[in-house]
Amino acid sequence: MKSCVRIGVKMEHVIEVKNFHKSFKPPFRFKRIHAVRGITFEVKRGEVFGFLGPNGAGKTTTIKAIVGLITPSAGEIRVFGESPFSMTAKKKIGFLPEQPYFYDYLKASELLDIFGRIFGIGADERKRKIKNLLEMVGLAHAGDRVLRKYSKGMLQRVGLAQALLNDPELIILDEPMSGLDPIGRKEFSDLIASLKAQGKTIFFSSHILADIERLCDRVLVLDKGEVKAVGCLEELLRERSWEKEALVKGIREEEVRSWEEVGALEKIDNELVRIVFKAGDTNKIVAKIIEKGGVIHSVSDRRMSLEALVMKLTETEAK
Amino acid sequence: MSGALGRIHAIARNTFVEAYRNRAFLGLSIVAVLLVIASLLLSQLAIRDQAKRVVIDFGQFAISLLSVVTAVVLGVILIFKEIDRKTFYLVIPKPIHRHEIILGKYLGLMEVLFIVILVMGAAWFLAMKVRECPINEDMAKALILVLFEASIIVSVALFFSSFATPIMSGIFAFGFYLVGCSTSVLQDILRAKKGAIVTSQFLRKLAKAIVYVFPDLGLFNVSKEIILDVPVTWEYVFGCFLYALGYSLFFIILAILVFRRREFN
Repeated sequence: MKSCVRIGVKMEHVIEVKNFHKSFKPPFRFKRIHAVRGITFEVKRGEVFGFLGPNGAGKTTTIKAIVGLITPSAGEIRVFGESPFSMTAKKKIGFLPEQPYFYDYLKASELLDIFGRIFGIGADERKRKIKNLLEMVGLAHAGDRVLRKYSKGMLQRVGLAQALLNDPELIILDEPMSGLDPIGRKEFSDLIASLKAQGKTIFFSSHILADIERLCDRVLVLDKGEVKAVGCLEELLRERSWEKEALVKGIREEEVRSWEEVGALEKIDNELVRIVFKAGDTNKIVAKIIEKGGVIHSVSDRRMSLEALVMKLTETEAK
Repeated sequence: MSGALGRIHAIARNTFVEAYRNRAFLGLSIVAVLLVIASLLLSQLAIRDQAKRVVIDFGQFAISLLSVVTAVVLGVILIFKEIDRKTFYLVIPKPIHRHEIILGKYLGLMEVLFIVILVMGAAWFLAMKVRECPINEDMAKALILVLFEASIIVSVALFFSSFATPIMSGIFAFGFYLVGCSTSVLQDILRAKKGAIVTSQFLRKLAKAIVYVFPDLGLFNVSKEIILDVPVTWEYVFGCFLYALGYSLFFIILAILVFRRREFN
């Protein structure tokens, strides 16, 4: 279980988004499209922050504003306390866009070389870094092949390599797992874990909730351009649960099973039984347990799955 | 190379590599060979001693036209392609100013045009050698002037492509070239007091506005001087350089102003 409080670490905000709005006016239409409607959140230094939401929620629009591809219609975005357009902030960011497109006439090593020059990395260091990065993302064998001959998964790896070229403090990844096979996803997850161990701040959006659940310290759920929930993943999964569980001793399993409020029942050992019920039925269940002479060990929020949380918050039916 | 120059150089280098790897130069070599053959064939058709004139005139016209077409096509396509294919999504979040991207693109395209004019010039000289036309320094100056002309057209193409679609940008940029080639004719018409062709005050004002706004691209064509053996001085070339630089800077600044405000939705 991930800890929600990091003791002894100063929680400096790497990204600050305050009341960010973004609207577009499509050509030949009178009505503006409101992609993001006044969202506010912060990303703290050293955390892995998951950005969740269905398609069209406004995730990519928000990410584009954070990296300076678009400007907010209203509100403010600060990255390392600066404007996203500032060179100081950009030097500390590594960014992998969703489904990245590359200069397909270049070799991977040439692409990284051009980006290395933009970062102002010296020739020797550039050469060393490119070699190391290509090895790290598993492309050492293909560094001299033009990118048009790469598979989707290989391109995603090049995308990651270019995002790490400047040894960034903040790594922003938009749907980094798309296009990767299960092995690639595992390697990618391991890489994110190792970057986190190095103290990097990682902000990423993903549709693959298992990855978010495994990697993220905090998450934000966005839907229709609005924040539905933000916070420590573990707390959200418990707080937002509509179910509770009670650990009870001294009560017969068969008897409990007949109670209509009980959602699920599980025998933990010879004495202990876990009873799952809706939060609204807590008083009734507690009263019944006491009435039947049971001993309540604990009553707590039941941890829901991230998928269930997202579905609940976005009111989307699971397919 | 570091700092802004290093970043501009990185973009320029990428632009050049793109043109090179997309086999733009292979097409160019074919056109150069065609130029030699066409000018030799046309000179065969010339009356009496006009063969030299045909090779010189046609050669310079062909080089100028091809360099302008290259400038328009590449200038229009390269920026659009980056936006359309979203390759800018990888570049713009990096520590580079948007004006450095435009300057890098411009310089990369100029590098491509330099090679285009060099190859075409070599083909032109070869055709003249075959026709036994004397080759002199002024012919090299004519090629330099074509490069200056192309530098204006590249900046115009970059400006239009920073906000318009490739087809519209291409039409605007090529239209700009055609109007630029006609400004000297317009000037002559406006200067003529007797038997003026244009009497309408509105049309005269419009013509005057065109003459003031558009560059006189006729300045970069010295084929008449070469045929008539009128020397093209280095002072004249330098004056044309300043003229081209002024116009190029104007359109590059406009392109930068538009590109800086551009949203990558």
